[in-house]
Amino acid sequence: MELEPFMLRALLAAVLLGPLCGFIGVFVTARRMSFFSDTIAHAALAGVALGFLLGLSDPTVPMVLFSLLVAGLILWLKERTHLLNDTIMALLLSGSVALGMVILSRLKGFRGELDRYLFGDILSVGWGDVVLAAAVLVLVGSALLLRLNDVLSLMTAHPDLAHVAGVPVRAMNYAFVALLTLTVALSIRLLGIILVTSLVVIPPATARNLAGSLRQQILLSLLFGLAGAGGGVALSYPMDLPSGPCITLTLAVLFVASLAGIRARRSQAPSP
Amino acid sequence: MDIAFRPRPAVAAIEVLDLQVRLGGNPVLQGVRLRIEAGRMVALIGPNGSGKTTLLRCLLGLHRPDSGSIHLLDEGPPTPHLLRRVGYVPQRLPLDPSFLLTVREFLAIRRPRTAGWFWRPTRFVDDQLHEAVAEMDVTRLLDRPVAGLSGGQLQRVLICSSLLNDPELLLLDEPTAGVDTPGEEDFYGLIAEVHRRRHLTVVLVSHDLSMVYRHASRVYALNGVICCEGAPEEVMNAESLRQAYGIHFTPYHHHHHHHPGGAHGA
Repeated sequence: MELEPFMLRALLAAVLLGPLCGFIGVFVTARRMSFFSDTIAHAALAGVALGFLLGLSDPTVPMVLFSLLVAGLILWLKERTHLLNDTIMALLLSGSVALGMVILSRLKGFRGELDRYLFGDILSVGWGDVVLAAAVLVLVGSALLLRLNDVLSLMTAHPDLAHVAGVPVRAMNYAFVALLTLTVALSIRLLGIILVTSLVVIPPATARNLAGSLRQQILLSLLFGLAGAGGGVALSYPMDLPSGPCITLTLAVLFVASLAGIRARRSQAPSP
Repeated sequence: MDIAFRPRPAVAAIEVLDLQVRLGGNPVLQGVRLRIEAGRMVALIGPNGSGKTTLLRCLLGLHRPDSGSIHLLDEGPPTPHLLRRVGYVPQRLPLDPSFLLTVREFLAIRRPRTAGWFWRPTRFVDDQLHEAVAEMDVTRLLDRPVAGLSGGQLQRVLICSSLLNDPELLLLDEPTAGVDTPGEEDFYGLIAEVHRRRHLTVVLVSHDLSMVYRHASRVYALNGVICCEGAPEEVMNAESLRQAYGIHFTPYHHHHHHHPGGAHGA
């Protein structure tokens, strides 16, 4: 069977972005940033709308830029105001969705386009997206060789401890947020705005059920991200379904299966 | 290393001059002057809101003072380079139980070159790690998640981690806040042992006066300024300390306040 070019692009994007989301997700969940991920995903809608308004056929660039802008705004408001994180994010999430919808409703024939971005569409993955995803993966891979995981672990355990150990905590925080934003914005093509956070949150949760150390959790999370994204895309074409729900349901099935792993671990553990 | 057996010259591990910090318009530190000689085990005490945490954050370079100066280890202000010679033991870790970092992994972060790469199981092949692990008696905890440790266990792991840098100055923030009363005595015994063996300067930052009395050789009482300092028995009887802690203060009784400010309070 020969792969259609669009299918090849979608599968490549899935194989690159699945493990990336799996890795980042371990730290996103541990640092209670799931809602952050959701907010920047929704901000992408306004970016997409702005892209169409400007007459661009491929709105990747405004999408990524607008998500980065909102991520920066979250951090800036957090430092400058006394508002709670949740409040800031809810504000920016609803604000950007409203802005995106107002712009899109002024444009003709936006309905079909909207569904693609809300639920993901393998047809919309371009070569540019694949190349960007590969670049981010190479970047994170090289940072891993320089012990990115140690730096992130220490920052998660205690930011002040990381500072004393010589980590430039503030700069690393911004870098982590930029990495998360870029990864989420790129994954929107596959999963859609509404479901993209599932690829960041479910693989580490599944891995958590089975792992006995952080290293195991990271490795399993990479694997589940790969299996969920790759499997979901592979299912979506023959079944003629949007790719987002397919990926999320594949991840959910893996999660449910991992619950059996918890029971196995419990029965092995010595009773207290 | 025979240098460790000679008494160190009386250099200052910490020298603070006229330190002033305002937070949200309120003066928190109002001209703190402090000199802690190297090699001592001392306590920095003060009631909640006295500026202990702020002073500690300044010492660690986490907060920039409005005016005044800090010299650590006779060298200069707390730059990242100088902080390599300082060990910091926070009160607790703000960790969610879902974070699986094990004690072994946590300790390996400080000894990256010897702990094996990320995809290999973490094995300790380095004497300094073995020594610190044995010294703090954490061998049995190595494969437990850090987030699931009790207060006393966590303190031992945190001290173990800070010793991996072979620090010359060890700063402990409310070291027994999460430790039960019988565990406290063992815990201070352990710190005293580390202090003796490693000839480092230990600063215990605490609101708990009773422990100070038995374990510190010198006490600095903070209340916006250093309001008194000296041997524990002198400081405990000083009128200024009574004022700092309020009139209900009784020095020889355990005070187990819940302090809502916590490590990052006032």
